[in-house]
Amino acid sequence: MKPSFKLDAHPRRPRPLLSEPPAGYFDQLPMQIMARLPQVEAHETAGGGRWLAFLPSALRTSLASVAVLGGFVASFYLSGTPPLVPATASTASLDAVPRTELVGYLLTSEARVENVDLAVLTAADPGLANGFLHASEDELNDALDAQPSDDTTSL
Amino acid sequence: MPGRPTAALAAPARFPPRLEDHEILLKFQDPASRNLAFNQLVRKYQRKVYWHVRKMVIDHADADDLTQDVFVKVWKHLENFRQDAQLFTWIYRIATNECLNFLGSKRRKFLLPLNDVGAELAAKMEADPAIAGDAIELKLQQAILRLPDKQRLVFNLRYYDEMPYEQMAEVTGTSVGALKASYHHAVKKVEDYVTRNTDE
Repeated sequence: MKPSFKLDAHPRRPRPLLSEPPAGYFDQLPMQIMARLPQVEAHETAGGGRWLAFLPSALRTSLASVAVLGGFVASFYLSGTPPLVPATASTASLDAVPRTELVGYLLTSEARVENVDLAVLTAADPGLANGFLHASEDELNDALDAQPSDDTTSL
Repeated sequence: MPGRPTAALAAPARFPPRLEDHEILLKFQDPASRNLAFNQLVRKYQRKVYWHVRKMVIDHADADDLTQDVFVKVWKHLENFRQDAQLFTWIYRIATNECLNFLGSKRRKFLLPLNDVGAELAAKMEADPAIAGDAIELKLQQAILRLPDKQRLVFNLRYYDEMPYEQMAEVTGTSVGALKASYHHAVKKVEDYVTRNTDE
């Protein structure tokens, strides 16, 4: 019968029989490791973000989200491009009325918008007219001057 | 006695005299002496870390890469080391995680089953001239390499490093009871394999 192998009976070694590392390996290893460290440190300090390492990962993720969102908001407000329709009181109140109700009112109340209304409106509040006419003041005046004086326009 | 370095982990007396762990940590806090302190730390633990890693990955080149990675991680996180564990236990834990991640990623990268990585490691072991001619030792190593990674780690820490179970629990993050059971089963598997695969 084959004798069973017992680990306790086997001579114990401090480690498996593996070949030793190259001569001088442990003299060189600290220098190799130290040579890698400044890169790590430089990488960490380059962004000035060493303090981030002390924050929990969830907080770091939240901070990153807030930073991205803040970037969008800042770029929106700092872009310098005015909105298409200025937020005046008159446009705000008009915007609050549904378009179908406006059309219904104009159709049933026999109210008519005449060229003169448009001319006055354009002169009084060019920004408001720009919101829905999409034409410059000069273009509008030219178009109005070309119309007969008794012509009316229904919306 | 918990807290006392084992014989396998204790640093041999060499010139220049090595700093105690608390001295290394104290000097590491000072930017002026940080590099010097870390150099001392590397010199103190490099052999332990290297052989801990080498037993797991067998190949010297892999062990070299991983050992360097371990110490770079130690450098990055040493400031946050809370000293509620011993320094060498903490370093062992980092080294252990590096080894397990390395073996796991190797398996995932090449879509290898568990036994294939064990076979690859065994082939490297057999090619090592240091073990040639010792049939029993070769069978023993083959048996050890057939163990799952975590069980092999437990076996190495207990059998080769003679690490107390309490310290093994700190290194592996596993309970002492589970470690004892794992080591007991590992020994049985190793003995059975060597018995079955050894000529009379």
